[in-house]
Amino acid sequence: MSNKHDAQDFDIQVKLAIYRHFAATGVRPGLAETAASLGAAHAEIQDAFRRLFQKRVLVLEEDGESIRMAPPFSGIPTQHRVRAKGISYYANCAWDALGIPAALHEPAKIESRCEQSREPLEIAVSLDGPAPVACVIHFAVPAARWWEDIVYT
Amino acid sequence: MLFFRSEERVAEWCQENRTPQRPLVSLSQLWKLAVAWYSNRLSADAKRPSPAEMREIFTGIGLTGPFWDPESRG
Repeated sequence: MSNKHDAQDFDIQVKLAIYRHFAATGVRPGLAETAASLGAAHAEIQDAFRRLFQKRVLVLEEDGESIRMAPPFSGIPTQHRVRAKGISYYANCAWDALGIPAALHEPAKIESRCEQSREPLEIAVSLDGPAPVACVIHFAVPAARWWEDIVYT
Repeated sequence: MLFFRSEERVAEWCQENRTPQRPLVSLSQLWKLAVAWYSNRLSADAKRPSPAEMREIFTGIGLTGPFWDPESRG
């Protein structure tokens, strides 16, 4: 990468490739897939993943290269499943479960649960928002501390 | 951020998990947060809201106080 400006442009391309892959498939892309889609070297993509992690665009797993979160998408299965346009996605939390239809601009069905009773909870989301459902959302962590442990948050 | 069927279920969960009970958010408020955060996430110019923008979004849907201040030291 020749300079900081080029790196920023490249990081935007990598970010878009990641998000488009999630949106099209429901699953996280790997380094190799991202490199192939952009015609870039593996090491360049790995560096971009790390920069995006530092900028809080992505959350990586301990291996430093697998995407744990590209909010609102989750790279691993969670209790928050979202179905839209025939594709199944996983969200990181209640907020992100609604974030997926908001990001896709598509109607969706959320399949989650009451965290205490474990009762299934389904929410139909149209382009105008969720249909009324008896539920509340609890934020356990204050906004100033969300990124101290974003996976728990 | 977790879903619960009711405020009573939240209270039970907080007690069992020894977690302080925090402010609750309604589904319609959460949708507004989701739209504010993610509606342009798939575009090239997407960016996370700044602390000032976060405050404005929270205040606009009735979420106020130190808990919702991204720069609170409280």
